Amino acid sequence: MAKRLKASERRAAILAVAKVLFSDKGYHGVSVDEIARRLAVSPAILYRHFSSKEALYEEVLNTIACKRESYVDAVVSSDGSFDDVLKKITHIYIRSVSKDPDYLRMELQSALEGSDATRQFFDNRWKPFTDFIEFSLGELIAQKQVEVLNTSVAALAYQGMIREALYAKCIYHSPRYRDMALPELCDHLISLFLKAVGYEELG
Amino acid sequence: MLNADLELDARGLNCPLPILRTRKSINALKTGQVLKVIATDPGSVKDLEAFCKQTGHEMLASDLENGEYHFNIRKG
Repeated sequence: MAKRLKASERRAAILAVAKVLFSDKGYHGVSVDEIARRLAVSPAILYRHFSSKEALYEEVLNTIACKRESYVDAVVSSDGSFDDVLKKITHIYIRSVSKDPDYLRMELQSALEGSDATRQFFDNRWKPFTDFIEFSLGELIAQKQVEVLNTSVAALAYQGMIREALYAKCIYHSPRYRDMALPELCDHLISLFLKAVGYEELG
Repeated sequence: MLNADLELDARGLNCPLPILRTRKSINALKTGQVLKVIATDPGSVKDLEAFCKQTGHEMLASDLENGEYHFNIRKG
């Protein structure tokens, strides 16, 4: 019989087990029954804390991914320029994700499963970057601070670069980048991106 | 109804853009003046509350009207 835990402890235990299972087998590969079995409780106990498997999945992501307030911190501490804001929000994101690579595994599993529901959770987490880049580049083009280009493709390129850096360092542990810390690697990528779009700082 | 000194249309913008735009707009005001922000991103409610808390500006009002979020912020 499972030890009697406080509600907060039970909730934390459910999230911990669910995270391991989802990152290993994906959303569709894990049943609520299996999570309950691992915890030696009935599924009803899980449903007391989470209304559905989908809600549990999203909450697992929320415990790993950075909070919105962190992006507010980034903006407040930045000088407001495109490159400074981009660097700061990128560093906040990579810091949170690299602390727990199960997040990346869940993202990989979601892509393989082709699940629209889980895909949406990850798209929402990239949205601050893609929206910021598309919108800001549009304005910068008008101000002739960057070259004329397709802003949504530029946003996609950025997302791909940062995602690949995260996989290289946190999942594959690629020996090619062994001597470069993740933040440094991302700074190099940001520099390359800014050069590629022809970004010129004002003043 | 409070009269704002400046209005920022942040409709269609998502985090972090409403905060960025708000910061830029508030910087253009004098202390005590009021910025009205209109946004459609539901996350902007918490974002702007956090922004005001961190920067010392005062959130005078935060309302939902016809699917749009209206904020009145006094520059601190």
